[in-house]
Amino acid sequence: MSTVERPARRGEPAAKLTATEKFLTFALADEEYCVPVLKVREIIQMMDVTSVPHVARYMRGVINLRGKVIPVIDLRTRLGLPAQPDTAQTCIIVVEVAAAAAVALTGIVVDAVSDVLSIPEQDIEEVPDFGGRADAACIRGMAKFRDRVKIVLDLDVVLGGATAA
Amino acid sequence: MDPRNRASMKALSPPSSILPFMPDLLRLIEGLFNQAACDLIVGDADCRVEIVLSTLTAIERHLAAAGADATPVLAAIAGARSDLPGLGAEAAFERAQAGWHSWREAVVHQSGFQAAATAPFDEAGGARSGDRLDADRATLALDPEFAGIFITDSLEHLGTIEAAVLALEAAPQDEALINEVFRPFHTVKGNAGALNVSSVQELAHRAESLLDLARAGKHRLAAVEFDIILKTVDLLTAHILELRVRLAGGRERDLDAARARLMDAIDRLLQGGGGVVASPAPANEDAPAAYNRRAEDQPGSAAVKVDTRKLDHLVDMVGELVIAQTIVEQDTSRAQASDERLARNLAHLRRITTDLQRTVMSLRMVPVRQTFQRTARLVRDLGKQSGKLVDLTLVGEDTELDRRLVEDIAAPLMHMVRNSIDHGIEDADARERAGKPRRAQLTISARHQGSDIAIAVTDDGAGLDTAKIRARAIANGLITAGDALAAPDVHQLIFKAGFTTADIVTDLSGRGVGMDVVRRTVEALRGRIDVQTTPGRGTTFLLRLPLTLAIVDGLLLQVGSERFVVPMFSVAESLRAQPQQVHTVQGHTCVVRVRDRLLPLVRLADLFGIGEATSDPAQGTIVVLEADDRHIAVMVDSLLGKQEVVIKSLGPSLANVRGIAGCAILGDGRVGLILDAAAIVRSQYHDHVTTAA
Repeated sequence: MSTVERPARRGEPAAKLTATEKFLTFALADEEYCVPVLKVREIIQMMDVTSVPHVARYMRGVINLRGKVIPVIDLRTRLGLPAQPDTAQTCIIVVEVAAAAAVALTGIVVDAVSDVLSIPEQDIEEVPDFGGRADAACIRGMAKFRDRVKIVLDLDVVLGGATAA
Repeated sequence: MDPRNRASMKALSPPSSILPFMPDLLRLIEGLFNQAACDLIVGDADCRVEIVLSTLTAIERHLAAAGADATPVLAAIAGARSDLPGLGAEAAFERAQAGWHSWREAVVHQSGFQAAATAPFDEAGGARSGDRLDADRATLALDPEFAGIFITDSLEHLGTIEAAVLALEAAPQDEALINEVFRPFHTVKGNAGALNVSSVQELAHRAESLLDLARAGKHRLAAVEFDIILKTVDLLTAHILELRVRLAGGRERDLDAARARLMDAIDRLLQGGGGVVASPAPANEDAPAAYNRRAEDQPGSAAVKVDTRKLDHLVDMVGELVIAQTIVEQDTSRAQASDERLARNLAHLRRITTDLQRTVMSLRMVPVRQTFQRTARLVRDLGKQSGKLVDLTLVGEDTELDRRLVEDIAAPLMHMVRNSIDHGIEDADARERAGKPRRAQLTISARHQGSDIAIAVTDDGAGLDTAKIRARAIANGLITAGDALAAPDVHQLIFKAGFTTADIVTDLSGRGVGMDVVRRTVEALRGRIDVQTTPGRGTTFLLRLPLTLAIVDGLLLQVGSERFVVPMFSVAESLRAQPQQVHTVQGHTCVVRVRDRLLPLVRLADLFGIGEATSDPAQGTIVVLEADDRHIAVMVDSLLGKQEVVIKSLGPSLANVRGIAGCAILGDGRVGLILDAAAIVRSQYHDHVTTAA
C-alpha cells in the first residue's frame, strides 16, 4: 500500500493518508455524507432530547447514553440545510472527538444511516471554496464511489463550534 | 525596550564607578538573603526577629560601603524594618527580599550582568547553571510513570510522618511511635535512592539516622529534635512539590541552600552539639500542643487504589441499572398482580440493586481523618507562635464523606481553628487567673446526622466578645449605634461580608481570616455554618455539609414541556399565589408579596425561552429560592415532586449556560436540567438594582 501526499490546502500542513479508509455513510436532505468509521462510537435510535436554553441553534440538547449525558447537534442546521421533522429512520450517530483532556462524545442527528464503505484515498477530491460559504469548512472533500458522490465531513470542524447563542 | 523604561532604568542604575564590582556585590547580597532565609527555617521562633534585623543591617552596610545608589532597596529594607512589629519577621523579610529582587532585576537587565548576578549563591564561588533539583528532575523525567508514583507515594508518606510525629511529641519515649515515624522516612529514603533522586534521599537519610539513634535509645528526642524533624518533613514536601513543578516545565523555588543548612543542623544534632542530648525531658509546661487521638483502630485494613474514572463509570452504570430495574418493575406491575413468582423475583432483584447502589455510592466516601490530622500540625505551630497552651482532641475521624468534599473543607476548618486560637483561647496566665486549667482544650468532632455530616470546632476559651463585635460592626457600617440587637444576633454579624476589615491579612502573617469567607465557602458546598458561645466558657462552630456533592435532593419543576430540578437546599418555600399578591412594576416587572416581603418574580419560561407555559402567575406555582441571604420568587407550571438525583456535568461544550448548574438523569431515564439557583437570584438583584437606579 503506497502512501500518497495530498496537496496542502491554504495554511494546512500536508496530510498523509493511507490508501483506503473506511467511512460510515448516511443521508441528510437529498445528499449522502460520510464520516471516518474510526470516529463512530455507536448508532442509536432517535430518542427524547432534553433541550438546553441559550445555546447555538444547531445544538438540539442532551441525551442520556447509558448513564452518560452527551450533547446532540442537529446536522441539518449545522450545515445550513432546511430543517425537517424527524422520521422513523432518523437516528443519532455518536462520534468521539478529541477534546482538551479526554475524548468527548457527541451525538449527530441524521436522516438515515446507510453502510460502511472502503473508499480509496485517491477517490477523495478536494472541494473548491464555493465562494466562502460558512459551512464549506465542514467539508473535507468529495468521495466518488461507483457512480455516486458522497460528501466527506470534517468532524472536528463540525463539532468545534462555540455554544454561545 | 520601551523608552519610558529606559528612563526609569537609568534612575535605578548604580554610578559607573562601582559597575565593575557589581556582580560580586549582587552575589554577596543575594547570599546574605539566602542565608537568612535558611536560618529562618531552621532557627528558633524567638531568633527570627534577630536574624531578619541583623541581615538587613548587614546588607545596608554593604550597599553603603560599595557606594551603590540602591535607593529602592534601602527604602524596601527601611519599610520592612518599620513594618516588622506589625507583619511579623517572615513577612517583613519577604517584603525586603522582594524589593531587593526587583531592583536587582532592573540593574541586571540594564547592565547585562544576567548570568553572573542571578546564579544561586555558592560558597565555592562562581556561577552554576543549574541546581541539584534540576539534575534530579532530569533523572525522574527518564521514567515518567515511576516519577508520578514516586511523587504521590512520597507525599502520602510525608503526611503519615507528620501525624505520627505529632503523636510522638506527646509521648517521646514510646517505641512503637518512634518506629511509626522511622519507617516511612526509611521508605521515602529507599524510594528516592532507587530512583536516584539524590536531594530527597540525602535529606531523608539524615532524618532517618536521627530516628534510628532515637529508637536505639542513643538519642533523646526533645523540642529541638521535633522541630527539626517537622522542618525536614516540610522541606522534603517542598522538594517533592518542586520536582513536580519542574517535571511540568516550570520552576518555582531554589531549595539547595535550605537543604544544605538543614542537613548541617541535623549533623550538628547527631554529633551531640549544643548539649541537647543530655537535657532532661521538657517540663509539661513547655510541651507543645499535646495531640490526642480518640481513635479506636489503627488502619490495618487492606485497601486498593482504583482509578477514579473507573469508579465514576461504575457509579454511572449502577445509576442506569437502578432506572432500568424501576422501569421493568413498573411495566410489569399488572403482570405481577397475577404472577406471584414474578413478583417475588422482581422484589429480589430490587433488593440486590438497592444494595449494589448503596455499596457503589459508598466507594466515593473517604474518612475525614486526613483533613482532621492536618489541623493537628496547625494547632501545634499556632500554639508555639502565640505561646498559648492548647490540647487538641479529634473525635470521629472515621466519619466518611465524599472524597471531593474532604479537600474542600480543609480550608474552612483551618480558618476556624486559627480563629479559635487567635481570638477565643486565652494565654495560660489569663486562664489561670480565670480559674481555668492552663492548657486550653480544642475539640474537633465529626459525625453523621441524617444525610449530612456535622463537624464541630469547640474551644473552652473566652467566648465571643459581644461588645467588641458590636463595636466593629458599627465601625464598619453594618449596623448603627442605635440598633438594638440581642447577643445571638450580634454573634451572627461575624459572618457578614464587610465585617472583617483590611487589617486582617492572609495566613502568612498569622492573623484570623474573615468568617464571611468561611461561610461563603461552606455554602458553596451546600452546607451551613453556625456559632454558639458562652462568655468566659468557650465557643463552638457548627458545620453541616451534605455527605456527598454528587447527589442532591431535588425538587422537580414542570415548565411548559420541559422539566427542571432545583436543589432543595436552595428552596425556601413554595406556594400558589393569589391574584392580589402579584403586583406589576413599570408595566412588566412583577413582584410577589410573600408574607410581608416583596420579592422579584421571574418566570422560568421567559428566562429560558420556553413557549406554551403558564403565563399568569396566579395560575402557576411560585417557588421561593434563596441564595446569599436573598430571596426571589420563581414561577413554574407545577411541582412534580421530590427526587434524589445524581448531578452530572453538561460537558465542556455546554458548561457556560446561564442559570443552569448541570443536569441529572431522572427517574424515567430522561435528562433534566438542574437550576443554578444562586446565579438566578444574583442576576435578579443585579438587574433589580440597575433598573431601579
